[in-house]
Amino acid sequence: MPVLVPEPHDPVCFRKDGKRLDGRDVDEPRPFSCEVGVIKNAQGSSVVRHGGNLICCAVYGPREVHPRHLAKPDRGILRVYYRMATFSVHDRKSPAPNRRDNEISKVIREAIEPVLFLEAYPDSQIEVFIQIMAADGGTRCASTTAASLALADAGIPMRSMIVGIAAGKAQDKVILDLGDKEDKVGQADVPAVVVMKDKTISLLQFDGEMSIEEMKLGFKYILKGAEVIYQKQLEALKGKYEAIQLQAQKESEEYQKMVPKLTQEKPLPPSDTVVSEKIGEIKVNNDEEVQKPTKELKKEHKKETKKGTKKPTKKDIKKETKKVTKKKTEEIAQKINGTIENDPKKENDKGAKSK
Amino acid sequence: MEIIESIETPTREIVTPGMVISTDPELIPGRGAIREKNNEIISLFVGLKEIRGKYINVVPLNGLYNPQLGDKIIGRIIAKTPVKYLLNINSKYLGILKPLDAFKRNTRNRGYGKSVGTYRVKDDDLMQKLKMGDLLICKVLSGDRLNEPELTSLGQDLGQIKDGIIIHVPPPKIPRIIGKKGSMITLLKNLLHCKVFVAQNGRILIQGGKKFKHERLLIDAIHKIEKEAHTSGLTDRIKNYIIKEKKKRGIE
Repeated sequence: MPVLVPEPHDPVCFRKDGKRLDGRDVDEPRPFSCEVGVIKNAQGSSVVRHGGNLICCAVYGPREVHPRHLAKPDRGILRVYYRMATFSVHDRKSPAPNRRDNEISKVIREAIEPVLFLEAYPDSQIEVFIQIMAADGGTRCASTTAASLALADAGIPMRSMIVGIAAGKAQDKVILDLGDKEDKVGQADVPAVVVMKDKTISLLQFDGEMSIEEMKLGFKYILKGAEVIYQKQLEALKGKYEAIQLQAQKESEEYQKMVPKLTQEKPLPPSDTVVSEKIGEIKVNNDEEVQKPTKELKKEHKKETKKGTKKPTKKDIKKETKKVTKKKTEEIAQKINGTIENDPKKENDKGAKSK
Repeated sequence: MEIIESIETPTREIVTPGMVISTDPELIPGRGAIREKNNEIISLFVGLKEIRGKYINVVPLNGLYNPQLGDKIIGRIIAKTPVKYLLNINSKYLGILKPLDAFKRNTRNRGYGKSVGTYRVKDDDLMQKLKMGDLLICKVLSGDRLNEPELTSLGQDLGQIKDGIIIHVPPPKIPRIIGKKGSMITLLKNLLHCKVFVAQNGRILIQGGKKFKHERLLIDAIHKIEKEAHTSGLTDRIKNYIIKEKKKRGIE
């Protein structure tokens, strides 16, 4: 007779009132929150809290490929590193990457690739580092949402945002967004990644037993849950900039109150059309007066301004002094001689010399 | 196209990747936008939506520097080969600086009052003139998507940097630091009496402040511009900020 080993987990996943153990409905995702631009040294970064999961993601690139032989001359490559911290699970996790880590890295990379324009970056790579700080079931889904947030924050062109969420089956009921216990005890698990632009699916895995009808119901739940998470993503991406916009508006309003004279506009003069209406028959055309600044006019204006701004040299000062002396001598000569008949210049010169 | 111009709003809308910006068949997707099925134009970046004439663009709020012909940039020497210097220019590629583009080839006087005439200096001598870690202001001679950009450090404002402070901002925010027709940069220069050189690859060189306090305030002001680059009425606010801070910090 084989020895019966007691099950490590209690198979019950539902309460008596029909809700799940954490009080959720069947088609309700776990609480989700996210933040963008967390890591200063990275080009783009994000932090995601999805239920009990806490995931940190950073993006670098496009940059040079090392080792060089991995580079492709016609397109760039995407590299994803999924790593779990030693303290992220109940038992200590070995810090070295194992088979599971490598597999999930590959799966996430293939889920992100169709959204990026890798052909625009030949001979280069984009690197996505995902670190799981706390794991509570569905980490691969949550890390794709984190990766898409970080990529958008880094300014890398994307066709659409992506969202990862899982459906499953426990105690013969189809459920959305499985927790850690439901994942281990349940009958089936379907993690999926949705491209939100056209509601297509870029990752689909399946583990367990489900009928086709149950599967269809599961997809309905997935699309519904993805929409909820997508809205949170948009809030995080826009919120980073919109909060600053609001603060800036307040500051500028304060500035306008401080300096009312500068901001007030002068009242415009009455236009030509109004004048013509009042007078009736007479029409005023100011077209000739209001000339547009042509090249010649601009040149003249420049010359004038240049003359005005120039510092007076010694020669200029001499010229000016000569002019002044001439004028004075003329005045004196007029006083003495009355009217000047012939050759006023010579007489003036003589007068000046005699003086 | 008069109607389209009238649609432009003073505060520009923030858009995200995959968002449908417009379904107008007459509009042409410009920078940061593509056309998909059913005449839907979608954005590719987190950025600001902008309509100019018949083009619809998305101005990204973050991103890398793409070298373009004629740009003035600041680079740091990180590697040497027998024939060229390799510079980090804050892009995905390294910049190439050949020694004959870095130093003048002209007549030289050996001294003693006798000119020897023109002669070509060997590359070996020129490769020892600059050290690893030296900073240079360069100009891009050739820039495309496939090849590494070639640089030159001969010309006006170009050459080795010997003193000053260098700070870094995201390259898409550089136009805002320069301002419309250079309004912002002249404001900073006039109020804080510093020499400022803004390079297109996101590095800014600050030199020759009257006092250290001036340079300190200038750096804070630039970081404020960087933070609020997507808002309107920035020049007025920065002017107000500098005047207030000057009183606070006791700077003339």
